[in-house]
Amino acid sequence: MANPATISTAVAGADTLPLDGPQGPRPRPRLSRRNIFIYGTMLVVAVYYLLPLYVMIVTSLKGMPEIRLGNIFSPPMEITFEPWVKAWAEACTGLNCDGLSRGFWNSVKITVPSVFLSIAVASVNGYALSNWKFKGADIFFTILIFGAFIPYQVMLYPIVIILREIGLYGSLGGLVIVHVIFGMPIVTLLFRNYFASLPEELFKAARVDGAGFWQIYFQIMLPMSLPIFVVAMIIQVTGIWNDFLFGVVYTKPDTYPMTVQLNNIVNSVQGVKEYNVNMAATILTGLVPLVIYFVSGKLFVRGIAAGAVKG
Amino acid sequence: MFDSVIVSGIATIIIGVGGMFAYFWLSNLFLDKVLFPPTGKDIGRNINRANMVRPWLFLFPAIFALGLYLVVPVFYSAWLSFTSGVAAEGSWYRNYSEIFQNETFRVSLLNNLLWVLVVPAASTFFGLVAAQLTDKLSWGNFAKSLIFMPMAISFVGASLIWSFVYHPDIEIGVINAIRGLFGAEEGVTLIDGQIVDSFLLMVVLIWIQTGFAMVILSAALRGVPEETIEAAIIDGANPFQIFFRIKVPQIIGTIVVVWTTITILVLKVYDIVAAMGNQYRNLEILPTQMMQYFDSGNYGFATAISVVIMILVLPVMVWNIRQARAETR
Repeated sequence: MANPATISTAVAGADTLPLDGPQGPRPRPRLSRRNIFIYGTMLVVAVYYLLPLYVMIVTSLKGMPEIRLGNIFSPPMEITFEPWVKAWAEACTGLNCDGLSRGFWNSVKITVPSVFLSIAVASVNGYALSNWKFKGADIFFTILIFGAFIPYQVMLYPIVIILREIGLYGSLGGLVIVHVIFGMPIVTLLFRNYFASLPEELFKAARVDGAGFWQIYFQIMLPMSLPIFVVAMIIQVTGIWNDFLFGVVYTKPDTYPMTVQLNNIVNSVQGVKEYNVNMAATILTGLVPLVIYFVSGKLFVRGIAAGAVKG
Repeated sequence: MFDSVIVSGIATIIIGVGGMFAYFWLSNLFLDKVLFPPTGKDIGRNINRANMVRPWLFLFPAIFALGLYLVVPVFYSAWLSFTSGVAAEGSWYRNYSEIFQNETFRVSLLNNLLWVLVVPAASTFFGLVAAQLTDKLSWGNFAKSLIFMPMAISFVGASLIWSFVYHPDIEIGVINAIRGLFGAEEGVTLIDGQIVDSFLLMVVLIWIQTGFAMVILSAALRGVPEETIEAAIIDGANPFQIFFRIKVPQIIGTIVVVWTTITILVLKVYDIVAAMGNQYRNLEILPTQMMQYFDSGNYGFATAISVVIMILVLPVMVWNIRQARAETR
């Protein structure tokens, strides 16, 4: 940031006159109006964005008697991991009392194949779209963008019928198909834009040397596109893990993903509400995307920003 | 449990990815060896033909799947909304005329419009302010990563966190506890089905989406040429004038993109209202209304509402598509 003071000293320094008096930028009072404004805003921001997360973590580590005492802002007097164990293995949804663990493994079974399949298909599509200019590519491209933005509600019921016809309704396999297809438009566009940004000479040189469709893909494009694969994986893992709507519609209680089970555990009406268990369950469900976020940092931000239309 | 997950997972991946590559390889072989072999007297023409067909061959699985699961369902939903339910006996528009006469539908339509007006505007504005303020701080990146964190949490998770914030009990709810710090004795019920309670649910989505707006806008702010700001400083502009008169007009294009992207998201959001206010009719939005008809088997009304949602999204969508295409040209 340049301010008038630094500019004037730069001008003064350009002359060879000896400098007297104070030099450097004008010192600012610590409590200037501007600082009060910035720190005041930061305080509001901290309360709005961080307080809910803080209270959630603290509560999940307290026992129910301590919660009943009030003081939700104070750190736990006695740290207990019992709520976490209970949320994972014992919390009840309807008749099942095996906690979130079942939903967790369902989510793993849904997410892993969906991510692999959609990225495999989408990267080939993106490569074909960007490098092999062919008739009709434009139409395909438009359908893809359309698919990236369209509200899923329109497709919900017809897909139920399709899945029922092929016998996959309510199974994990059916949900995997749905996730692969709905993730494809945005990931294909991502790969297409990335491949289109690579220098075209590479592709042309490979063609002149006689490389075919697959040789170029595997030997030239793939080795250069590791970051975009990571970004695509982040979009897909987070999007699919956090999905709720498809999970509700296309699975049965046995195959519910973790988000649906979390909602059922927290909103179940029977028994005494155990807020510490609910908070632990919420954190457990968010753990996979949060770990990815903290490990991958900037790439995560890039991925989420690119996949933001997925809702 | 663990073993079976790994086995079935690996099996699905091998069958899926392997099957796809087997298809690619075999169809490629068929094209080169049988259909248009690069031998004989038509060698040049055959190579050209093969290269014309090849991309289509490889895109076929994707086109087939997208057609079956994206394009067909859209038309089928529209078709159902004209022919099933009450439209089966009466005129083709009966599903629509009846939902529009329904009080709850009108409330949810109104709520949806409120969401569309408030959430994108607030998220973009907070994102812009956060981007500007964090750029100046030495620990700005840390603050940014915290503001962005809700983006990693699912909508359901976020809703549950905020249900806790709004909890009516003074010992449990965060807001009531804050009131307690200032001397309140009794907790107040914050969400009880008033129309204005929708704003409390919107706060959740704004909480999530600010990080997205902030990240995109902070990249745009860094692209603002330094000379324009220096010129404004020399002319004696104050920080607010620099921000609103110099910086914002230069990144208005990005602001619009962020705004429209969040608008599209808002129109299809379902999880937050379902998890937080499902029992209140006054808080309903179109997607939750649709799901209620869907669950009760009234597919005529459900598909009609889904078509209404699509028509509402369409203008923003078309604008965004044109924008995206202009960029990729």
